Amino acid sequence: MKKIFIALMSIFIGGCGPFEKIFVEEDLLKRPEAKRCGDCHAEIYKEWKKSRHAKAWVSENFREESEEYSKLKCLKCHAPLEVLEDKKPVTRDKHREDGVNCSACHYREKTNAIHGPLKVWSPPHPSRQDEFFEKSKYCASCHEDTYKEWKMSGSEKSCQSCHMPYMGKKDLIQNFPYHLLHLAKPRHDHSFPSLKAKSEDIEIRIKKEGKKRIIEIENVGVPHNLPTADQGDPKYYIIIEVNYGNRKVRKIRRTLSPEAENTLVYKKPLRISFFEREEPEKIKVTIYRRLSWKKERELVKTYLASM
Amino acid sequence: MKGKVALISILLAGISFSADKLIIKKPPESLSKYYPPKSKKFEFVSNMHKMSLAFYAVNLNINAENWERAKEWAKNLEKTYKETAKMVPEWKKYFKPELAENFRKAVESQNVDEVIKTSKKLGRNCQKCHQDNMAIVKIMYRFPSFEKIKIEDPIEFTELETGKYMRKLSNSMKALRIFLLQGDTENARQAGEEFIERARQLKTMCTKCHTEEEKEVIRASMKKSSEALDTIAEILSAEKIDKNKIFSSLNAVGMSCSKCHNVHEIPALIQEAFEE
Repeated sequence: MKKIFIALMSIFIGGCGPFEKIFVEEDLLKRPEAKRCGDCHAEIYKEWKKSRHAKAWVSENFREESEEYSKLKCLKCHAPLEVLEDKKPVTRDKHREDGVNCSACHYREKTNAIHGPLKVWSPPHPSRQDEFFEKSKYCASCHEDTYKEWKMSGSEKSCQSCHMPYMGKKDLIQNFPYHLLHLAKPRHDHSFPSLKAKSEDIEIRIKKEGKKRIIEIENVGVPHNLPTADQGDPKYYIIIEVNYGNRKVRKIRRTLSPEAENTLVYKKPLRISFFEREEPEKIKVTIYRRLSWKKERELVKTYLASM
Repeated sequence: MKGKVALISILLAGISFSADKLIIKKPPESLSKYYPPKSKKFEFVSNMHKMSLAFYAVNLNINAENWERAKEWAKNLEKTYKETAKMVPEWKKYFKPELAENFRKAVESQNVDEVIKTSKKLGRNCQKCHQDNMAIVKIMYRFPSFEKIKIEDPIEFTELETGKYMRKLSNSMKALRIFLLQGDTENARQAGEEFIERARQLKTMCTKCHTEEEKEVIRASMKKSSEALDTIAEILSAEKIDKNKIFSSLNAVGMSCSKCHNVHEIPALIQEAFEE
């Protein structure tokens, strides 16, 4: 029934030429705040609102790190005007508190239209199907280092396949009467889940070469470095406790971060080696992480080997 | 006449620090409103540039015998000078609006001798303030403070202020040297590991300010130091430690340290002294 209604409406409106323009809402092409897009795209807006993109500007952590927004070069990716291929965006003047908002990603000044991965007919604003939205490169103008790491990994999964997972076919809009004009379309999660590596994403191996003990820690599950960031400061903490018996314990600690350039590269083991005068009884490796916008650490993995 | 006017350029270019002693005073509080974080527009220094431009424009146009343009620029100069005089009340004594006024009048009279005379007076007036304040203003407002930068100690997993972190780093390096000199290899291994980790984490401090392309410059300038740290780590995990190789690698690391210290340490020490 809905399909017949849509077909009839398309013929009626599409056949009327300038009549179509009656439905255009001009302000949608003037980079409105995200809430305005949410008038129709209510579910997508709700998802985005939960995302780190929505907090990119208002995040307390960013406010502190940018020294009250005075580090100007940080601002462009936290309130971009237009996310384009192969260049850093410029900073938006309006609605900065929206962070990485709908128009930053979807509005293109060049075509004065809303771009997206789907072919849609949308009376309130002109729309263009744009394949670029499905490519990892799309994320690279801000997440440049992570993109390079992903490329080096040789993975076939795109950024979007993990960080904008497929949600099945759903309505793109919710408001009446426009929602009647759309069929359900393939939808991807706009909460941009930041995801966290699981214990099984990291392999730990303990080896011995002569009198040298080697602990290998390998990222086998996440096709970019762990942790990753272009400018934030996420960290992994490694604690190795080597128990020699008689209460003699040697502790080795490492802090891994993108800024220190010592992260866990995909499928390239990190080797921590040390000289051993005696044979240990046990070796325990514990890995914690701290997300860039959080203060507290969380456990990622514990590994215990009896020798 | 061109020769005379060229003299103005020499006089203006001569505004420099020629004193044999320099007393550094903390800039007045009201100046802070024209610099980050209170303002991103750098209004005060922007007015300085406007006046400098207008001063030279007068000179340029008189040389080209374009007096009408020179008069416009002299007017601009006077206007900006008077505006600037009101921006920092504590510095009111430095500003003598009648000097900018006399300069403008001299240009209007098209009397080159008078232009030279009044420009000298105005130039000296500018020089006095620059001599007293320019260096310290640059140090206080153009060098971001290390005060807010914290760095996480990779050994103790605690967040430390830059100064405290540097002391820990330096002490673990000294401990490595001392244990090696004493022939205490086990403790040298431990101190060395701690030093290497702390030195590696230093980059996380640099990239708080040096982002994007600058980050690459930092990486490149630290390349030799990173390689030297890898060498030390390799030696320390071997059964027999070659201490001379470690000392020579430590020198390479030290060269890299001094590059950054030469740029940042003096302004940081002065800022710190004023904060105390």
